[in-house]
Amino acid sequence: MADLYFSGVDVGSLSTDVSIIDHGGKVLSEIVIPTGVNGSEAAEQAFNAALKLADLTRDSITGITATGYGRASVAFATGKTTEISCHGVGAHHLFPKTGTVIDIGGQDSKVIQIDRQGRMLDFTMNDKCAAGTGRFLEVMANRLDLNLDELSSPLNIEGDSAPISSTCTVFAESEVISLLAKNTPRKEIVHGLQRSIVNRIWSMVTSIGIEGEVTLTGGVAHNKGLVALLEEKLGLTLNIPENPQTVGALGGAHIARRTYQNSLEADSI
Amino acid sequence: MLRFSKHEITINEIIKNMNIPDRSEYLKGLAQTGQKIMGVLPALYPRELLWAFDIHAAEIWDPPGEILHANAHLQTTICPVVKKSLEFILKEPQTINAGYLFPHTCDSLQNLGTQVKDLIGVSLPIYTFYNPKGRFNNTTIKYYQDILINFQSILEASHGPLEPEKLKAACVLSHKIDTYLMVIQQARMTDHLSLSNHEYFTLMRAQEYLLPQDYLSLLEQVNILEKPAEFSRARLMVSGILPPLPEILVFLDELGVSIVADDLLAVSRRIPKFAMDPPGSPLDYLTDRFFVLPPCSTRGGDLDERVHYLSNRLKESKAHGLLFDMVKFCEPELFDHRLLVKTFRERKTPVLTLETELEDHISGQDKTRIEAFTERLFEIVST
Repeated sequence: MADLYFSGVDVGSLSTDVSIIDHGGKVLSEIVIPTGVNGSEAAEQAFNAALKLADLTRDSITGITATGYGRASVAFATGKTTEISCHGVGAHHLFPKTGTVIDIGGQDSKVIQIDRQGRMLDFTMNDKCAAGTGRFLEVMANRLDLNLDELSSPLNIEGDSAPISSTCTVFAESEVISLLAKNTPRKEIVHGLQRSIVNRIWSMVTSIGIEGEVTLTGGVAHNKGLVALLEEKLGLTLNIPENPQTVGALGGAHIARRTYQNSLEADSI
Repeated sequence: MLRFSKHEITINEIIKNMNIPDRSEYLKGLAQTGQKIMGVLPALYPRELLWAFDIHAAEIWDPPGEILHANAHLQTTICPVVKKSLEFILKEPQTINAGYLFPHTCDSLQNLGTQVKDLIGVSLPIYTFYNPKGRFNNTTIKYYQDILINFQSILEASHGPLEPEKLKAACVLSHKIDTYLMVIQQARMTDHLSLSNHEYFTLMRAQEYLLPQDYLSLLEQVNILEKPAEFSRARLMVSGILPPLPEILVFLDELGVSIVADDLLAVSRRIPKFAMDPPGSPLDYLTDRFFVLPPCSTRGGDLDERVHYLSNRLKESKAHGLLFDMVKFCEPELFDHRLLVKTFRERKTPVLTLETELEDHISGQDKTRIEAFTERLFEIVST
């Protein structure tokens, strides 16, 4: 299987991520770009950038799995799989003892249970509301006049936090406006926002349960304050990938690789 | 007559190909002939009594269209089945000419009957029918027979005396329909029916508006395969009030998933669990039929009995997973739902819950949920 390469293209609501691996599963390149308004173009652009970074041509890629909410728009993909399965497979390859994946994505959050081969066993997703997602943080960052990096700075988890709703982004934003009007320190508001997301995620986790090690994926895993609060709430240490945003794309690449291997086995029967 | 069709075809084409008339066109045509038509809200009512009075029961479950005027009369936390029904009633459709019947399926529907009668006011008569909530015993039997007799008296006051022979004939017709439906249901579970998901539920739901004789003719034409079809499809059982939205049914077909069994109030929960003897005394037949229906949250059934029933259906149909398609704010169903999900998860049955407000289309999130669930089912198929 020399010189065979596989890719996963994850077209999410906020970012489009591409991962390219070789036949042994070694990661050759990873790219994250904003999705913007055209998922198809973003996929094309991110894929070309990942090829360039890996010093490969398009013809050299044997299998490409499209995933994410825009998976149907990736015309050059050889297969498509939901981001739920892809995050499970990606987390498994990074942390083989993973039994539970928490993915906090741009427009939705998921808790996924996987088996020892990385296959999804069960999952739950947030419903019809951006509370507990990356979009929630983005909206609040705008309201607080902070950028996402500032919002992600490590915070003292023992400090005070302002009470903020964990059930609705719109209500939460109104609460933030009221808190600002009362001159509540921004640090307390940020802390309250993180706690709000953590509470939301925790309720999803309790509905499905925790098995094995827990791996956190999605861009929100960069938020150190939130990670600390989530670890405190769950009472465990989370696996945090080096590139949490590309775990879905990485899983997609591994699924493309597995599909190719399965097809070889089927041909040889 | 009925045949397997490509999934890409439109819903209207499916109905046309199966020779099932469109609901509103059919009822309009029927009303023009002078047929008495009563609008009946979900779910359980003595249809045979209405037929005996030459009244056609046109069931109102999920009329299409936006909910606008109903919101002025109902709280936001009322389920869309009730809201859509009220929206339909407020339009005063010409097809309904013999009144409305509100069975006591849940408190919302019961209260809707009161609202329509006393507060909103419609020109047609309003009837209520309070089903017993509880298990089969001497008290519930006596209560059910009392309300049947009472309902008969109420209908007689408006439509003249009941002809006993007509009621007996209606029971025979009802028994024949049930018998066919049980055979079709069994054929579905054992792959002896070559219908897509959408075609299957279109056929099963046609009883909501076709005259019983027309529906029986349709059922008689259903082709039951001699040998089971060979499917490499994932198999699914669905539970809830109504079948999933047409778009979901078509989407499941495209994904290679067959709904092989159901526990839906609009479908299987209205078909007897086992074959009944041909009708003797109409009153006994109607009573027996009510109590041999599968367990149902709207009848205050025992949860253990429901778990047992669902387990058997899953086993019998060899379904790989269970989809709970919940109507938002459906109180009776939501009380059972959490425990059912917990039970089947513990038994390692793949379970997915969707929530619907009876929208016209599915959200991207729900599509992802369904697709991910399907990926899980196909993992099971492949192993």
